[in-house]
Amino acid sequence: MHRPPWNRPPLNRPLSNRPLSNRMLLNRMLRQLWLPVLVFVILLLATAGSTSFYFPPLTTVLDTLWSELAHGGLLDDLFFSLRNIALGLALATVVGVGAGLVIGEVRTLRLATAPLLDFARATPTVGFVPVIILTLGIGSGPKVFLIFLGSLWPILLNTVSGVRSIGPAVHETARGYRIPWRLRLRRVILPGALPQVFAGIRVALSIAVVLMVVSEIYGSPVGLGNFILQSGSSFHVAETWAGTLLIGVLGYVLSVLLLLVEHRLLGWHHQRAPRTPRARPTPPAPPEKSNGAVV
Amino acid sequence: MVRVRLLQLGALAAVLALWALVTTLGAVSSTALPGPVSVAGAFGDLVGTGVFWQAVGDTLRGAVTGLAVAVAVGIPVGLVTGVYAAAEESSRLLTEILRSFPVIALLPVFLLVLGSTPGMKATVVFIACVFPVLLQAQYGARSVPPAVHDTVRTYRIPRLLRFRRVILPGAVPSVMTGLRLAATTSVLVAIGVEVLTTLPGIGHMIMESQAAGASDRAYAYILTAGAIGYSITLLAQFAERRLLRWRPPTHPGEA
Repeated sequence: MHRPPWNRPPLNRPLSNRPLSNRMLLNRMLRQLWLPVLVFVILLLATAGSTSFYFPPLTTVLDTLWSELAHGGLLDDLFFSLRNIALGLALATVVGVGAGLVIGEVRTLRLATAPLLDFARATPTVGFVPVIILTLGIGSGPKVFLIFLGSLWPILLNTVSGVRSIGPAVHETARGYRIPWRLRLRRVILPGALPQVFAGIRVALSIAVVLMVVSEIYGSPVGLGNFILQSGSSFHVAETWAGTLLIGVLGYVLSVLLLLVEHRLLGWHHQRAPRTPRARPTPPAPPEKSNGAVV
Repeated sequence: MVRVRLLQLGALAAVLALWALVTTLGAVSSTALPGPVSVAGAFGDLVGTGVFWQAVGDTLRGAVTGLAVAVAVGIPVGLVTGVYAAAEESSRLLTEILRSFPVIALLPVFLLVLGSTPGMKATVVFIACVFPVLLQAQYGARSVPPAVHDTVRTYRIPRLLRFRRVILPGAVPSVMTGLRLAATTSVLVAIGVEVLTTLPGIGHMIMESQAAGASDRAYAYILTAGAIGYSITLLAQFAERRLLRWRPPTHPGEA
């Protein structure tokens, strides 16, 4: 049970590629699941007979969530929000990775823009919400733009640092053999930077979800943010909790999906770890390499 | 070094010039993006006023309170879960779920339950900051090399001493990274809360200025927020370098 740290599976990474026996898998699941299940049960019991106005029974909240999804307009809200996130994030990825590759490769450009980029990242995109929504209106466009604006910086900066993390020897070799830049980009630079790019997209995703909520709370006739705002200000507490829960689940599910995509695309990267067996156990990458800003 | 600074100034000038060009050509309406000159003017007017400093103070107070509580809770919990595999495994799923929960989505609920108070702002900041601190502390505690662990175990060093002399120093670099992340996050979240509520602070001033039709003032506040975030990053980097002089930098690219 009490395994020394170097025998432990690293965080956020698949175990090894060797198939796990069913019993091991079950054991692991039990170890990881007991606490969340316990918390859920405690919440369920603690609120069971609740007459408190602010904390309705969890079962009521879940019932409300289900009926709103099935019969109410919550599903439309969900699709509206999801579409904005997908569009904004996709746009930010294309622009961020493109610009990041160029900035990472060209030394002069990188040196010149470093403070500007750091400043841009430190500027809260949430501050732009009133400015953008009040001038550009309450439609879908301004929200996609805001999500794009917030997600751009982590992706861009991580791409730059990903390009930088490719060993100089690799660079020299690729250059020395005069490999055409197109091929170099596709076969050397992009794959080398990809792990970091994904770390950036992960950070960007959490920012995107927050900006989705904020922009919809601030001014929108539809969307999840609008749903929790409306129900909150009209004191429909169960609906508010239900909407909040849905956004939380959405945030979690999206990040898990992204991790799955990452493991598929970066299988080679994660597999490389066991190659240095006991000599120097490489700890997992820290949870968030770049600014884990929530906004 | 001088050449680099010149380059950076050049890039700044280029961005400002581009900004001025876009606004004078009228490509975007001046309410969406006022020119750099008028924003600078608005900023100059603001700096002398008490309202401005009051707003900055309100934002910082909320951010620092939330951050302090997050550090007080996050570091011990992170270290303990980092040392004991069972604790880490049991809490992993829960922290994963809570971490990916967008805090701002809790705002309507908090508004209902806690009301629009400075305490609510600090609470939201706390929730946003506790996870970066906790996870980095956990990661730091786990990064103590196995050889060190073996040695400590063999010599039967008491638990408390082990925590204080082995795990804590080993985890400090990673904890510092967590602190840096959390510090920037705290200001951002505080401003986010202010934008959406009636709580005083920079975020509220941005909203108010924009609603009053003074875009240049709104932008002046936004840039102030950026400057605060940027200075926190620089300060944290500086502190990190000073405090951790005893060890070589782990992320050479980050310096």
